[in-house]
Amino acid sequence: MTATIPVPADSSPPPVDGVSITVDGVPMTVPKGTMIIRAAEQIGVEVPRFCDHPLLDPVAACRMCLVEIEGQGKPQPACAVAASEGMSVKTQRTSEMAELAQRGVMEFLLINHPLDCPVCDKGGECPLQNQAMEHGRSESRFDLEKRHFDKPINLSAQILLDRERCVSCARCTRFSEQIAGDPLIELFERGSKQQVGIAEDRPFDSYFSGNTVQVCPVGALTSSQYRFRSRPFDLVSVPTVCEHCSSGCGLRTDVRRSTVLRRLAWDTPEVNEEWNCDKGRFAFAHAATPEFDTPLVRGDDGILHAATWPEALERVAEGLADARGRSAVLTGGRLTLEDSLAYSKFARAVLGTDDVDFRARPHSTEEADFLASVVAGSGLGVTYDQLENAPVVVLAGLDPEEESPIVFLRLRKAARKRQLPIASIAAWATPGLGKMFGTLLPTAPGAEGEALSALARGGDTLGSDGRRIAALLNEPGAVILVGERLATCTGALSAAAALAHTTGARLAWIPRRAGERGAVEAGLLPGLLPGGRSLADAQSRAEVAAAWGVSVDDLPTKVGREVDAIVEAARAGAYNALVVAGVDPFDTRRPDDVIAALEAVPFLVSIEVRPSAVTEFADVVLPVSTITQRAGTFVDWEGRTRVFGQVFRTSLALTDARVLAMIADELDRPVGRQDVAGMRKEAAALAPSGSGRREVPSVAASSVSASSGQAVVSTWHHLLDEGTLQRGDDDLAATARTAVARVSAATARAAGLTDFVTLSTDAGSLDLPVVVTDMPDGVVWLPTNSHNSNVRRVLGVDHGAIVSLASGGGA
Amino acid sequence: MEIDDTTRDEVRAIIARYPETRSALLPLLHLVQSVEGSVTPDGIEFVAEQLELTPAEVASVATFYTMYKRHRTGRHHIGVCTNSLCALLGGDVVWKSLSDELGIGHDETTADGEFSIERIECQAACTHAPSVTIDWEYFDDATPASVSEVIAKLRAGEPVQSTRGPVIRDFRATEHTLAVTDDGLAGEGPSADHRMLAGLTAAKERGMALQDTAAPASSEGEN
Ligand code: SF4
Ligand code: SF4
Ligand code: FES
Ligand code: FES
Repeated sequence: MTATIPVPADSSPPPVDGVSITVDGVPMTVPKGTMIIRAAEQIGVEVPRFCDHPLLDPVAACRMCLVEIEGQGKPQPACAVAASEGMSVKTQRTSEMAELAQRGVMEFLLINHPLDCPVCDKGGECPLQNQAMEHGRSESRFDLEKRHFDKPINLSAQILLDRERCVSCARCTRFSEQIAGDPLIELFERGSKQQVGIAEDRPFDSYFSGNTVQVCPVGALTSSQYRFRSRPFDLVSVPTVCEHCSSGCGLRTDVRRSTVLRRLAWDTPEVNEEWNCDKGRFAFAHAATPEFDTPLVRGDDGILHAATWPEALERVAEGLADARGRSAVLTGGRLTLEDSLAYSKFARAVLGTDDVDFRARPHSTEEADFLASVVAGSGLGVTYDQLENAPVVVLAGLDPEEESPIVFLRLRKAARKRQLPIASIAAWATPGLGKMFGTLLPTAPGAEGEALSALARGGDTLGSDGRRIAALLNEPGAVILVGERLATCTGALSAAAALAHTTGARLAWIPRRAGERGAVEAGLLPGLLPGGRSLADAQSRAEVAAAWGVSVDDLPTKVGREVDAIVEAARAGAYNALVVAGVDPFDTRRPDDVIAALEAVPFLVSIEVRPSAVTEFADVVLPVSTITQRAGTFVDWEGRTRVFGQVFRTSLALTDARVLAMIADELDRPVGRQDVAGMRKEAAALAPSGSGRREVPSVAASSVSASSGQAVVSTWHHLLDEGTLQRGDDDLAATARTAVARVSAATARAAGLTDFVTLSTDAGSLDLPVVVTDMPDGVVWLPTNSHNSNVRRVLGVDHGAIVSLASGGGA
Repeated sequence: MEIDDTTRDEVRAIIARYPETRSALLPLLHLVQSVEGSVTPDGIEFVAEQLELTPAEVASVATFYTMYKRHRTGRHHIGVCTNSLCALLGGDVVWKSLSDELGIGHDETTADGEFSIERIECQAACTHAPSVTIDWEYFDDATPASVSEVIAKLRAGEPVQSTRGPVIRDFRATEHTLAVTDDGLAGEGPSADHRMLAGLTAAKERGMALQDTAAPASSEGEN
């Protein structure tokens, strides 16, 4: 909450729709509709409150905020009464009536409250504790038996409720209903039995459930992860930025004695407001301890042995000595901007190769061209605020609830508050689309490009919804959001760019991983240099060489290969060395091929936080710091730089950039120290200059269709799944959605599917429960990497591929 | 929960009565009680599905109103008002004798499934305290003897007329009437009698009128 001292009313004219009131005798003008509690904050008066929350609709449930309004007989709740012209409000500071009313309410609230602060997680940061000190009695007059409940009860595997402590403020239930759109918890019963609860066998499995713990003004809601772990006053809090998705959430990381104990949403009005998702809140075990203590070097015995840094670096230098121009760099989508820049420079200036690509996932040349021409160097583009105020938002190949939860929350907010029309180009109407009150433009996988082109032609072929959306796209401020999987739909990204061009709508790309936008900005794509510059452009090359302090001649001139081509080339023996950082082969379209490439390449360097499938084949493993041991910057999907500091300042672990600098030194091609400050300077020097932008791709759309007994795969990730960074939190995993296969009724009938379906390719097969869904025929949807549904690892295919369908036997 | 075609039609008709589907929640819960005798978890799931609500949203309402029963009810459901006024005028005594006679306590059901009993809150029938209801119909000025007599008649299958309402059918039948207000039975039997209207009659005789009381200006939301 930002409280600003208002300008005295007489010195500035009231805004057009302002109302003039006095609070405790201080005159002020506030916008019409302002609640008294907010007005009072502006003069620094804090009216005590529990149920009030600036981002939730007022409910006046707790009655703690009673104030006196002149001319009204009874005290009124300041959180739910809007200021009206001429109103004179007296808070507890100037009104005995208000003071008395508040004390009375506090006494009532405490009647059934256990007052078990010494064993309560909220003790020390508890609004009830604080306000009881300020507005309550020092001694209780209540000497009867208090209400008792069994405690705690599980609302979900992760969220626990101690009903005795609840003050029935309905913050948790309003959050779930209004913000998340998951009304899975409600106030049950009445009177002194009133309690928060769930329906039988319907746990509170909302992706946003952790926020309720944070907004609960007492210790009634706790997470199984943090319960009984710490006292708030023993924690050191550091503002951080989430490393999971590209939403860019500001978080607060709470640490005690070198251990992260919890993470909370940090108030970031322009990005995540005061919320975040459960993945960002609870999935941090991956950063708990670095899993490598020292570098590892493979000995003649074929085994990795612990080594000192000098030993390991020497070995790397040997391996890379004859690799200039005959090497490739794969980086994955999880690096900070600073580290991405370091890899970009290392590949070009040190290894002399342009075979560098961050896309450790299905990708295409069309996508690389799209990213280089539309995204790279475009700076802060569409913002959350613009989403909220757009006349229409079209989602193509993107399910924000699963892939970028804060985008989902913002879109839901706009849909709920101002009926923002949202349309989704996808195979089926997901729960998330329902919660955004959105419209489905039903589209089979692979046909996304056609659907986007149809919108550009006025939407006629997409029915009345299509026409309505197409018309809205011409209004100023309209937005098209494209997701990661469009990379696999031929012609779709070209069509999206063309649609934006014809309609004037703004276009934004929302990748799934926190580091992807930064990687694009750093030029971790073949032919792309930092700041959207092109390797093929002389001016660009000169600018980059100058910023890197190298000669233009040190940079490669030949545009390099993309991941799939790198993998193929490695298997064909085209490289002497491969440098791999933060890549999980199982995220790629053909994991087996990637593993074969890792095996084939003569010298493999793995720069990693934790053991992975790459470790097994690495000649040298160089450990780098976890996210909590380093400072850095993520660039969120908006293009906003999200800078964060180091949680554990005493860590000696190195960032990727520092490690690369040491390798470069060892190779006698020094690139400087490459600490975080230095890399930030370099980033500034490489700011987009506008030179060398690539052409926007114009690939014709083509679509696939399945013959009988087969179906086209539609797939994307569940937010909570078997992703590497989510390992280690079982209670969080227990709230994940279960994997099912979705097909239309006709497809199910044609393939004779009843309860289970077996999906198979030449690589393998999956057995999943069938849910008949309203969707195009000949299509099957399943989550990409969930328990029992690892599409890439097991089937070796991705979105848009053909699989065989057969009735399954059950898992 | 078994739903037959008639009930399905009724569900549709009830939902169609309201511009907002959610408004059909209360009558549908009564309908569920008319089928199952109480609001079971199955019933909650059913209503949630019909109204596109979550089961939690339905359960929240079903647990708020005491007329929705979450335990098995008897063929007849008897309520005894034990709020202050009725309690003082004999409600407590009536409750005790009824409870002793049937051998069950609050919210319990006799083994033969004939009766369930409940202490209820003020029925706005204080004029005729102590107030008892059978299948939600009034039995005014109750005494242990009058209640016992009614119980005997119900057991024997003899017709029993509410003091201000229809002939008693059974709990589920009343619940059905509550759900489907147009079964023609809603207005059956007398309602307010001369004792209840005594104040109004006196006021009229004296030519008294309501004073004009302007509502205080308040923009407080729903609470
Ligand atoms: S559990 Fe907490 S947030 Fe929810 S109603 Fe109770 S006090 Fe409020
Ligand atoms: S929405 Fe994305 S950035 Fe925010 S907490 Fe969740 S995973 Fe992290
Ligand atoms: S804060 Fe106003 S009633 Fe709760
Ligand atoms: S107190 Fe029993 S009917 Fe009013």
